[in-house]
Amino acid sequence: MSWFADLLGPWRGFTVTWRQMFKPKLTTRYPKEKRVKPQRFHGRHTLNRYPDGMEKCIGCELCASVCPARCIYVRGADNPPDDPVSPGERFGFVYEINMLRCIFCGMCVEACPTEAITMTHLFEMSVSDRQEGIFTKDVLLVEPDGTPNHPLPDTPLIDIKELRLGDGWLRATAPSGRAEFEGVEAWSPSARMGGLAPAEPAQKDRNATDETGQPEEGTDD
Amino acid sequence: MADKPATVTINLDGVDIEVAAGQPLIEAAQKAGTYIPRFCYHSRLEPAGVCRACLVEVEGPRGTALVPSCTTPVGDGMVVHTKSETVEKAQAGVLEFLLANHPLDCPVCDKGGECPLQDQAYAFGAGESRYVEEKRHFEKPIEISDLILLDRERCILCSRCTRFSEDISGDPLIEFKDRGNYVQVITFPDEPFASYFSGNTVQICPVGALTAKPYRFKARPWDLEAVESVSLVDTIHSKVSVQASQNEIIRIYGVDNDATNHGWLSDKDRFVHDHIYAEDRITTPLVKEDGDFREATWAEAIGLVSERLGSFDGGRIAGIGGARSTNEDAYAFSKFLRSVVGTPHLDAQVGDGLDAKFAAAVTPRAEIGDLETAKTILLWGPDLKEELPVLYLRVRRAATHLGAKLVIVHPRRTGLDGVAAHTITYKPGTGPDLLRKLAAGDGDYAPVRETLAEGPVVALVGRAGLGEDPDLAEAVAAFALELPDAKIMPLLRRGNVFGALDMGVAPTLLPGRVDVDDASGRAALEAEWGSLPDGPGLDATGILTGLAEGELSALVLNGADPVRDHPTPTTARAGLDAAEFVVAFEMFMSDSAAYADVIFPVAGLGEVEGTATNIEGRVQKINRIVPPAGTARPVWSIFDDLAAAMGTEFGAASAEAVGAEITRVAPAYAGAAWDRLSWGEGRDGFVLPTADGSQPLEYTPVDRNVPIVSGHRILHTARVLYDDGVIVRHSSGIAGLAATAAAHLHPRDASVLALAEGDLITITVDGEATLPVVIDPSLVEGTVYVPFNLAATAGLGAVGTLRIDAVRGGDA
Repeated sequence: MSWFADLLGPWRGFTVTWRQMFKPKLTTRYPKEKRVKPQRFHGRHTLNRYPDGMEKCIGCELCASVCPARCIYVRGADNPPDDPVSPGERFGFVYEINMLRCIFCGMCVEACPTEAITMTHLFEMSVSDRQEGIFTKDVLLVEPDGTPNHPLPDTPLIDIKELRLGDGWLRATAPSGRAEFEGVEAWSPSARMGGLAPAEPAQKDRNATDETGQPEEGTDD
Repeated sequence: MADKPATVTINLDGVDIEVAAGQPLIEAAQKAGTYIPRFCYHSRLEPAGVCRACLVEVEGPRGTALVPSCTTPVGDGMVVHTKSETVEKAQAGVLEFLLANHPLDCPVCDKGGECPLQDQAYAFGAGESRYVEEKRHFEKPIEISDLILLDRERCILCSRCTRFSEDISGDPLIEFKDRGNYVQVITFPDEPFASYFSGNTVQICPVGALTAKPYRFKARPWDLEAVESVSLVDTIHSKVSVQASQNEIIRIYGVDNDATNHGWLSDKDRFVHDHIYAEDRITTPLVKEDGDFREATWAEAIGLVSERLGSFDGGRIAGIGGARSTNEDAYAFSKFLRSVVGTPHLDAQVGDGLDAKFAAAVTPRAEIGDLETAKTILLWGPDLKEELPVLYLRVRRAATHLGAKLVIVHPRRTGLDGVAAHTITYKPGTGPDLLRKLAAGDGDYAPVRETLAEGPVVALVGRAGLGEDPDLAEAVAAFALELPDAKIMPLLRRGNVFGALDMGVAPTLLPGRVDVDDASGRAALEAEWGSLPDGPGLDATGILTGLAEGELSALVLNGADPVRDHPTPTTARAGLDAAEFVVAFEMFMSDSAAYADVIFPVAGLGEVEGTATNIEGRVQKINRIVPPAGTARPVWSIFDDLAAAMGTEFGAASAEAVGAEITRVAPAYAGAAWDRLSWGEGRDGFVLPTADGSQPLEYTPVDRNVPIVSGHRILHTARVLYDDGVIVRHSSGIAGLAATAAAHLHPRDASVLALAEGDLITITVDGEATLPVVIDPSLVEGTVYVPFNLAATAGLGAVGTLRIDAVRGGDA
């Protein structure tokens, strides 16, 4: 039988190959095809706009202060009242992320009070010059119509619908600094953490359970 | 009062502590380590009890009660609970109320990150608000002055700004308006918050309701790096925190200390810093060639200057300046001119100051702190509000809060008139006559003389105007010394002028307050420096005249601008014009630097390290936070190189080494070493001479025979806070605030000359200026007042005969 085994030998060697040939393929034809990333994938950042085209960034530098890699540089400036860049008094005048340093932890996204900075699924960030590794506002900011600043706006790596979802709560509290905004809800429960505080016990119940050892109210001399 | 015990015992959260009597509970608790939240309470303001954040429980005969701890003085046997459930609930409740209308736009607010409301809401708040309703809205932000923006939505109505403006600065330009839900802080209609002290309200505002325009959105608080330093804008040397982000100074805050400024600053101290980033700052050495400046290397400039200075006989070279920078810089200047060049002609003042010995070594010399205990304050000198604004605050406090009686003698109204017991106006030139009458206490002056008889007396003496005889100040001081318990404070305003005088940048002084004729002092200095030129030199006026007349050949201008600062500009121009060689140490192309043959760029505010000596002789540390612009260098190091190029090695490796040399060489400065000034009690500096130092010169002013200048009309010209000086002109924050130039005439003079308010007149004194007329009844008849050194009065001198011509065909 040994001659038969010798005959099959080469074929047996290909067993794995043959088996895999009929299984579904894991590789994709990158870069022609791109795998869909997990929904919470930490990819390249974008700076978003409100539906009316206003920038969401107010230059508050909270992202820069929270960044563990210290890779974000922000400078604010006074919003020109006749042609405001963002709602409120200040806008992000300079916004730079050093992508060579960024560790994609997403803390900036968490810190942002206006949801101006979010992360996309974009991951192709190779640069041919270290200077290009510093992504400026030109690169990060979405187009005025809300489409991402990317050569292939239809890329599945950017969920445009999700980008347009967030509508930072701060917009309502800083109504362009104008009193005419009276009537806009100034504070919404969505911004709080946890639910509403539990209702206070009534005064009479509170006195009844007062065990602090202090004199009861209304004690006369 | 006397039966009140000095200390009382209170029980704070179950612990008995002994505290000083009379202070508010909140203060006593804080000193004991228990912080009670507060918004309206500020240790330098009178308690108001309006924010209710500091509620604590105090046990009393009718049970415990919640009381505001800022308005409750400590009492013996008081039992206080600051952490009970009731207190916590009350404090959280107050915070919830305060936040009911607060917009929570913290991310865009300049205060966000250093905001007492944020911090205390974290520490003492409930964490949740039950308010979901619409917040109160106001238009925001509104400009209430050229420097300050007001956001009424953020305001929590603590009244700190209004109390500061009314009680401390005496400029009640900001007030509460309306009632109930619509109470708001606002200025009066058509009257901006144009106070010299408006920046302080920004600093003490516990929210972002008041913000400063120059700092607006420049950085967030966590971006800032800070160093403690002192402000060299005037001679008070207010303690400041210089704050920078990305290597750029963007903010100056006052630091609270008892010694000098109580935490307050003038707006000039606060907003002057951006001149170091002015476009036209000189950042490379400049050499004049065929009448035009060209950039040069340091090696070339130093080589050229050392060669040219070496080509003159030492006694034909002179130096003016040194008051703009540190003691170390002034010391190097003095050492270079006296020991390397070999000239006795140097002066830190520009003919607008006082006698050097009087200013540097008058005995007994008053400290700023003496104002707190003075019963009587005699102010015969400049308008403090214009020239020494922080001293104005201290004098005002003495007069309004501490019961001192203030006597002001000045040619016209001053900022302190409202709180003075007596104000005397006089025609400049007639001062000696007035002094004689005042000393005699005749007639109208009897009540003033009576006030002055109550000691302790602090006499603040200086030149009321630039035309005034400097000897008059000494005569006044000599008179004041006869008053009970009198101490003298000579008033000079320019930066570190007292430090420069102490470093021997004066014709009559050697470093450490040694008289130039003092043989033993000279010998000690010669042992360190080598031989010294003989005798007293020429003062600034003498130097400029000497240059014009050919007795002197070369001039070293160390941060001085005699063309704009000397009382007779033509003297300055003639001197500079005639000088064969002028070298200037400057940051900007000032009117005087334009005459220079070589200009060295020097480091400025926040760029130098060293020490400085203030008006009371207090030496304090100056720290650096940013590198100098371009190739600018500190002055001491330039003199170090010049000396080396001229064959004498100073060998100073750092400003600290120069500082160490000062403590060794200058007798009054023994003990004022840098490391002693940086930590612990030395952080507020020491008044010289320190315990282990000695004061070689004790100068007692004598009543010199000051001539009475009489004339039909006399010009009174004095400085204003925002003038057209080279630093203010380049500080974008305050440059636009320069006062409008006008000629102030007494109503009777105006009617005699047939002039009405707004008419244009040409005033000729030394130079001439055409100015609109302002009727000023506070003047004495025959006096014409013109602010000194504004753009429109730049050519005008202070001394000389006055001519007034009405301009025909003006817009009057």
